Amino acid sequence: MACLVEMSNISKSFGGSKAVDGVSLKLMPGTVHALMGENGAGKSTLMKILAGVHQSDSGKIFRDGRKVGFETPREALEAGISTVFQELSLLANLTIAENMFLGREPVTAFGTIDRARMRRETRKALAALGLELNPDVLVSELSIAERQFVEIAHGIKADASVFILDEPTAALNAADVEVMNAQIRRLRDDGKAIVYISHRIDEIFGICDTMTVLKDGKLVATRPLSGMTPDSLIALMVGRELQDLFPARGTTSSETVLELEDFRIDPDSKPLSLHVNKGEIVALAGLEGQGQQQLLRSLAGLYRASTGSAFIKGKALPLPAQKPSGIRQLQARKVGFVPEDRKEEGLFLGLSIAHNIAVGLSSVHGELSIAHDYREAIAETMTSMNIRASGPSAPVGTLSGGNQQKVLLGRYLASGLDLLLIEEPTRGVDIGAKAEIYNLLRSFADAGGAILVLSRETVELIGLCDRIYVVHGKAIVAELPAETATEHQILNAALSA
Amino acid sequence: MSAIVKHPFLQRLLRVPPAYYVFAILLITLWIARPHMLNANIMGIFIRQVAPLGVLVLAQLLVMRVKSIDLSGGGILLLVNYVISSGIFPGASMPFFIGLSLAIGTAIGLFNGWMIGKRRVSAVIVTLAVSIILVGFVQYLSSGKPPGDVPSYLNDIYNIKWGPAPVPVLFWFALTVVMALFLSKTVFGRYVTSVGENPEAAHFSGVPVERTVILAHTLAGFIAAVAALVQTASIAVGSVRVGLDLPILAVAATILGGVVFGRGEGGVWGPFFGVLSFALLFVVMTTFGIDDPGKLIAQGLIILLAAIFYGIRTSRSN
Repeated sequence: MACLVEMSNISKSFGGSKAVDGVSLKLMPGTVHALMGENGAGKSTLMKILAGVHQSDSGKIFRDGRKVGFETPREALEAGISTVFQELSLLANLTIAENMFLGREPVTAFGTIDRARMRRETRKALAALGLELNPDVLVSELSIAERQFVEIAHGIKADASVFILDEPTAALNAADVEVMNAQIRRLRDDGKAIVYISHRIDEIFGICDTMTVLKDGKLVATRPLSGMTPDSLIALMVGRELQDLFPARGTTSSETVLELEDFRIDPDSKPLSLHVNKGEIVALAGLEGQGQQQLLRSLAGLYRASTGSAFIKGKALPLPAQKPSGIRQLQARKVGFVPEDRKEEGLFLGLSIAHNIAVGLSSVHGELSIAHDYREAIAETMTSMNIRASGPSAPVGTLSGGNQQKVLLGRYLASGLDLLLIEEPTRGVDIGAKAEIYNLLRSFADAGGAILVLSRETVELIGLCDRIYVVHGKAIVAELPAETATEHQILNAALSA
Repeated sequence: MSAIVKHPFLQRLLRVPPAYYVFAILLITLWIARPHMLNANIMGIFIRQVAPLGVLVLAQLLVMRVKSIDLSGGGILLLVNYVISSGIFPGASMPFFIGLSLAIGTAIGLFNGWMIGKRRVSAVIVTLAVSIILVGFVQYLSSGKPPGDVPSYLNDIYNIKWGPAPVPVLFWFALTVVMALFLSKTVFGRYVTSVGENPEAAHFSGVPVERTVILAHTLAGFIAAVAALVQTASIAVGSVRVGLDLPILAVAATILGGVVFGRGEGGVWGPFFGVLSFALLFVVMTTFGIDDPGKLIAQGLIILLAAIFYGIRTSRSN
């Protein structure tokens, strides 16, 4: 049987890091092909290359045996490759029909848009999925599941034979997952090839025929799913060697710094409780987007749906925190929130290192008080953190990623805080800077600080932390001592929840 | 082109606010063409004319540094002028007028700040609407006719000189010094710089972003009222048309001075020289016998050049 799509030896780098490295993949008609791998293994990048969103640096793509190259998503769609991304690409203020024909509206003999035909064909494509939606309804009025169906219908209308579904069930409830799976089987029975990316092992085994595992951008294996067990699948996904990057763990006290009780990330999610002690680094681990970030952000007033009680050193922190004052409220309690996106949320790229650090020290004072230059504190921070720059007046935007990240951390470390809430402490920094950052965080904890940290890199959390909470489905599903934890254990805890 | 623009020396030149160049060029032109004009008394009179604009620019640069804008200055100028000249408070003392004017300006600034900082309404729309409302309100109160006279003591103060330097110019200079110190030495100044560079990062660093924007606008309203007092003292009569072009000139001088939305590289002195440049421009144009329409065109061209100048810099830094 001829394959519909063959990707051969595909590579793609972003900046210096290889996201996809020499991966080959064949998609056969009438199959559901699972694409598996940890966060950042390269699944989404590989599929975005197939969908024309990214262009590969090297490698070839064959469609029905012919070599092709897609410059835009539309070219891919015209070649019969339809994609439903995690971040939906429908325009909320247009109707279903308008979305389906966006940019390719049929015209009447008078040159006006042929709305009747748009409606008719939209209804037909939706009917192929067994859906009865009014084509004139605005997409903003649809549920997430319905929007995904509309995207699939979009592919059906374009007569696509390859459907890429990137975590189609991540935002769906159990009933909608069933409907979605029924649709996927229907497509499969029509002889289409479906690529299915999901973190839910049970779904993979329920619906897929073949699976490909990626790891660190490289192909691990492609096998039929019939010979696999959930355990052997997870074993393929993990098993990276721990690098010798991490400082020795310290001793933790029993003095609680942060405590959450009966805390619900969303009003209808399961209650959870956690605590962080003085001298401790505690991780929120698990697969991406399971609520770790919402948990952390809700303490800073950046996510408002959470309920429950939070205590910092025994004193209640009012929840939900207000957005304008959440960060300052934490600051007043000697808690720092280190955001993930250092370029947008963290740093003032056009301003000096000195300003970037001093703003944290200044902002606890009133508007009319004198702004000290904190020359010594800044010089000391730059030395102790080994920030490589021409001087404190160098604009942060001119520094390397690792040094930028150190400046960001420096702002919080210099402010004499007791607790740090950190998102992605080492995102986009090289290995040397990573080791330095781990050491800095550990010395902060050894000096009596406490840290609650989340990261997409499970290995980092295991190496850096003392204790790990595994978060899945907006609940804590396991608590493990980091010293003995393995990636396998964490993945297993998350997936078996 | 790009190779030239990348040259480090040129880069440094490009970082100097255009106001300094314009000022230098105009000064040299005057020195060559009409050296007798460069006399302290003559210059004092010309510079005194832009003192209200100079004060208003302090308000404008403050809000522009937090990525906002204030176009309500015209309305405030008119209302303050009306309150003082209409005689609705017969026999009121000078402190009463000053206090009332400042209160009006501060209240309007607070309203602007609240709408922009808290309600997230577009700054251009809010302040323009406020200005239109105030202008309409004054015209309604005065039924379109110019109100009466300004108490004479205001004009007397305006005409005092300290050596060759007119008091309004000294007052403007002193106010600029205060603003420079305020922005460089207080925590508020650090907040303003942070919000201007990146409001999101400012929020994550614990800067009260909303409050900073509200406070900047409130202060701007207060300063606009001060500018209105200087302006009223200068013209000595009531008017229903006074100062309506001042806000847009203030924006122009601020940009010329190197303060572009959120980028405060020109500091406080860049816009100061921007205003001085406008004063010199009037002198140069007048001595060359160019009328008001020509002055307007020249003004516009200079602003346009300043914008192009920034375009070169921004495209380079990206």
